[in-house]
Amino acid sequence: MNSKIMLMFTVILVAFLSAFSIFQVRQWERAILFEFGEIKRSDYTAGLHFKIPWIQSIKKFEARLLNLDQEPQRFMTSEKKEVIVHYFAKWRISDVEQFYRATSGGDVFYANNLLAQRINSAIRDEFGHNTVQQVVAGDRDDLLSLVVGNTARLPKEMGITMMDVQIKAINLPDEVSSSVYERMRAERTRVAKDYRARGSEAAERIQANADREREVILAGAYRDAERIRGEGDALATEIYAASFGNNEEFYGLYRSLNAYRQSFSSGKDIMLLQPDSEFFKYFNTSEGGK
Amino acid sequence: MGWNEPPDGNRDREPWGGRNKNDGPPDLDEIVRKMQQGLGRLFGRKTASSEAGPPIPMAIWLVFIVVLLIFCAIDMIYFVNTQERGVVLRFGRYDRTWQPGLNIRLPRPIETVELVNVERIRSLSHKNNMLTQDENIVDVEVAVQWKINDPTQYLFSVRQPDETLNNIVESAVREVIGKSKLDFVLTEGRSRVAQSQMGLIQETVDDYAMGILISTVEMQPAKPPEQVKDAFDDAIKAREDEQRLVNESEAYVNDIIPRARGAAARIMEEANGYKARVVAQAEGDAARFDQLLAEYSKAPEITRKRLYLDAMESVLSNTNKVLLDTEGNNSLMYLPLDRLLDQGRTGNKPQTQESTSRIMESQGAVVNGNPRNVLDSRSRGMR
Repeated sequence: MNSKIMLMFTVILVAFLSAFSIFQVRQWERAILFEFGEIKRSDYTAGLHFKIPWIQSIKKFEARLLNLDQEPQRFMTSEKKEVIVHYFAKWRISDVEQFYRATSGGDVFYANNLLAQRINSAIRDEFGHNTVQQVVAGDRDDLLSLVVGNTARLPKEMGITMMDVQIKAINLPDEVSSSVYERMRAERTRVAKDYRARGSEAAERIQANADREREVILAGAYRDAERIRGEGDALATEIYAASFGNNEEFYGLYRSLNAYRQSFSSGKDIMLLQPDSEFFKYFNTSEGGK
Repeated sequence: MGWNEPPDGNRDREPWGGRNKNDGPPDLDEIVRKMQQGLGRLFGRKTASSEAGPPIPMAIWLVFIVVLLIFCAIDMIYFVNTQERGVVLRFGRYDRTWQPGLNIRLPRPIETVELVNVERIRSLSHKNNMLTQDENIVDVEVAVQWKINDPTQYLFSVRQPDETLNNIVESAVREVIGKSKLDFVLTEGRSRVAQSQMGLIQETVDDYAMGILISTVEMQPAKPPEQVKDAFDDAIKAREDEQRLVNESEAYVNDIIPRARGAAARIMEEANGYKARVVAQAEGDAARFDQLLAEYSKAPEITRKRLYLDAMESVLSNTNKVLLDTEGNNSLMYLPLDRLLDQGRTGNKPQTQESTSRIMESQGAVVNGNPRNVLDSRSRGMR
């Protein structure tokens, strides 16, 4: 009975001790081993490791890329316009010992603040030399190289490596935005007017062209028509001349008589006659002649 | 602090430190002892109650061990679905990746498993208004579809992969829009913008070794902001108006040109008709005259007389006549011409008679039914 209790006691003690002396470093972690608060070792790879309980302690750090996502900041451009910039940065802990020392015990939040200050000043410098347009259309690599240049000493100073800085949003303050909207509206109005005027121009051109064409067609038709009529008249005259020329004197009689007949065909004419024409030759006497 | 000072004359100034150094170990011992007592009571009582023999506690132990073994076995066996991969960590260190199917791991404290779905297509969308290169503001909405193509990279490279991807998408969208002009973004540039956004996102994701594959970047049609929407709509309407005006004038062209051609054809046909008519009339007149002339030349005198009298008869029978058979102008004569004309118009038989003159009236009767109008139409045509 007593030996059983002893055995149980040893098992529990071993389990207890091992729980305090074994530690895991996971794939995405780095660790520092402290002995009485002094850094003893920091080059752990992932896996199972040992320490002396209570004498040595462990602090683990993130080995993956960390995110720095600050509140949007206001910056001035070279035209003294304010822009609101929202950026994010990617960094990783490259030297855990240095990082631990520089950030008062490995505080990621604290490190983010330090980084943000440096990045802000880099961006402020860069934007101060550029117009809004250049800033908006700027290449990501320019900003990155600038920030990297400004943070070149970070690995030494803080044990941090900057991986990337990118701008998520560049916006104008509300009061500037409204004037941008006004400008856009004016621009659109200009475009709209232009379109409509062009439409009218084209329409006018097309219609005028059509009107001209109509005139040309009608005038050409008139010309040809008159030529044809003239031919007809000429031909008719020739025929008349050929026929009537056979006896001009008789034609005079024939034509005159027809003309008289025609002239007095309406029935409304009044003739005042003296009966001395050839028609009235037998009117007064049967012998004819007076 | 005075009231908190230990009364037994402990010289140590710090109460916490002091207790940790001096009282710590006994405390721990006491806990261990208490645990021992508790366990002892548990087992001891059982052994005490079944004084007859140890088989019953042995059975309990056995059952306990079998249950534990079964539990471990179940815990060790994993079924990995087709769309999943299992990342196995041994004491936290990456050991291997499971393919789909039946897989076995070592019991829990030694190996742990992270199952990652690598087939599921995930999506995220991003909507914001942003500045274009020409300092206009545009509303852009982008939907990105992606999946994990390397589970170890996805787990081990970046701390918050999903949030990071969000950031990457936002910045890529902004950058591409920031390099484009407003008109380009709003009209023909949509697919190209999405294309370069996709390239940029994938590039950055690869830079970070995130183990993510971007499958599509779908950009919704970019819209002008709400504040200027009406102006943009009007501009689009204006473009339609332009087209409408052109179409309308083309309709006008299509209306008048064929009509003009038709009118021209009518003019030509009328002219041709006129020509044919005039020539035919001339030929007809000439033929008639020629035949008449042939007869006339056989008996000119009598024909002449007959023609003359026929014509005069026709003329006089068709007119109102006043025959004056007075010689000289010694007598004054009153002729109410206006009344005569009126009668001619109304057709009443006049009964006026003058003393010194014989007035013969007769209502003109058309003797010659169809008076020839030889040259009438011709003169009209000559205009």
